[in-house]
Amino acid sequence: MMTYIVFILSVIFVISFVGFSSKPSPIYGGLVLIVSGGVGCGIIMNFGGSFLGLMVFLIYLGGMLVVFGYTTAMATEQYPEVWVSNTTVMGVFLLGLLMEVMLVLYVLKSEEVGVVFKFSGVGDWAIYDTGDSEVFSEEIMGVAALYSYGAWVVIVTGWSLLVGVLVILEVTRGD
Amino acid sequence: MNPLIFTTILMTVLLGTMIVMMSSHWLMIWIGFEMNLLAIIPILMKKYNPRTMEASTKYFLTQATASMLLMMAIIINLMHSGQWTITKVFNPTASIIMTSALAMKLGLTPFHFWVPEVTQGISLTSGLILLTWQKLAPMSILYQISPSINLNILLTMAVLSILVGGWGGLNQTQLRKIMAYSSIAHMGWMTAVLVYSPTLTMLNMLIYIMMTLTMFMLFIHSSSTTTLSLSHTWNKTPLTTTLILITLLSMGGLPPLSGFMPKWMIIQELTKNSSIILPTLMAIMALLNLYFYMRLTYSTSLTMFPSTNNMKMKWQFETKRITLLPPLIVMSSLLLPLTPMLSILD
Repeated sequence: MMTYIVFILSVIFVISFVGFSSKPSPIYGGLVLIVSGGVGCGIIMNFGGSFLGLMVFLIYLGGMLVVFGYTTAMATEQYPEVWVSNTTVMGVFLLGLLMEVMLVLYVLKSEEVGVVFKFSGVGDWAIYDTGDSEVFSEEIMGVAALYSYGAWVVIVTGWSLLVGVLVILEVTRGD
Repeated sequence: MNPLIFTTILMTVLLGTMIVMMSSHWLMIWIGFEMNLLAIIPILMKKYNPRTMEASTKYFLTQATASMLLMMAIIINLMHSGQWTITKVFNPTASIIMTSALAMKLGLTPFHFWVPEVTQGISLTSGLILLTWQKLAPMSILYQISPSINLNILLTMAVLSILVGGWGGLNQTQLRKIMAYSSIAHMGWMTAVLVYSPTLTMLNMLIYIMMTLTMFMLFIHSSSTTTLSLSHTWNKTPLTTTLILITLLSMGGLPPLSGFMPKWMIIQELTKNSSIILPTLMAIMALLNLYFYMRLTYSTSLTMFPSTNNMKMKWQFETKRITLLPPLIVMSSLLLPLTPMLSILD
């Protein structure tokens, strides 16, 4: 099972995305986002990115999702939608689940899968070696490069976040 | 809106387009598109009524979908070429997905349905920004990937856009919807020649932006959003009736006005590449566009509907000063003799 752990984690990832895309109430969407964040962290860590996985848990789940949960709890309604409360939500969830199951069976059975691009069965998900360097971790060097060579990216993303706050305040302010 | 915040948000729209046009890394281009989209939403929603909110929501949904498709094409390109530099796209699947994404951003058929509805729901100034500035960024990316675009898909979308832009505008009396359908048709003309000569795409974009700026500023000057209120321009400022006539005929592509220059060059370039039926069809379908421009000029400049005598004596005038209007009018009507200067673009 450990050779196919990335495949299993990606299947759980897609199923949790289907879970919040079928639009239950945002509280339950946040619940499924926690699962998908944890599973995504596992996928990143299997590729050797332990620092980035930690970032997902700390910043995404522990910072952004907590704030999202608090604001949703303030704006929630008396009877929030669950996956089983509304026929439409349950139908879409089951449809997404069915499509994922069919895709998994297709991937497991055949040698080569060609949906939009070709990859060979489950083989591309099993991790045999991670990257070229065995002396230093490439992922930490990437993070360091973001703050040295990639200073422009930091400036642009920082400005986008600031403008995002301003835009959201403008849009929700009303008249 | 607070002037400081409004300036910041407007500058971010400019910054987003600049980042798209000047980046060499695909991820930065995607970031530029998202920054542009995020910052233009409050500009579309300047007035708080349900129409603008609905229009902004429609715009956001379509553009976000297009950005997602763009990201998918970028990742497929990364898988097959191993690098993030923006050159031609190496994989045909990625190229088709990217062309569809950029067509959604531009408003080409079959992704044109949002353009009239969004343009109608917002104010005239926001519509101006939407139909001119927002077209620059996707067109610059199309220009840069033009060697690898699938010709069949792009030409199909272009010809259908010209048809839909002409046909769909026929039944409209709202000026913003007319401008939206005009934009769809002009985008069709621009993308038709993209694979043959991207320089002509840029020329068409330049002249289209000048003409659309002029038209919108004339509408803002007379505060008119319907054909009926435009037909009262003879009473407010009689000079603008002539200017509307000239600019609309220029948009229709009539010589000796400057709107003829891109159409002429495009038809010449297409026939040089041995496609004759295509430019014939495009020129015939541009006549549909010309028809509804002529209908506007008929009710505005060429006829005066019967009115009582005291209507003709207006004594309260509201004047808006629009700074760039005279140079724009001159440029959007008199540039045709400068066509030989195009040889410097090669």
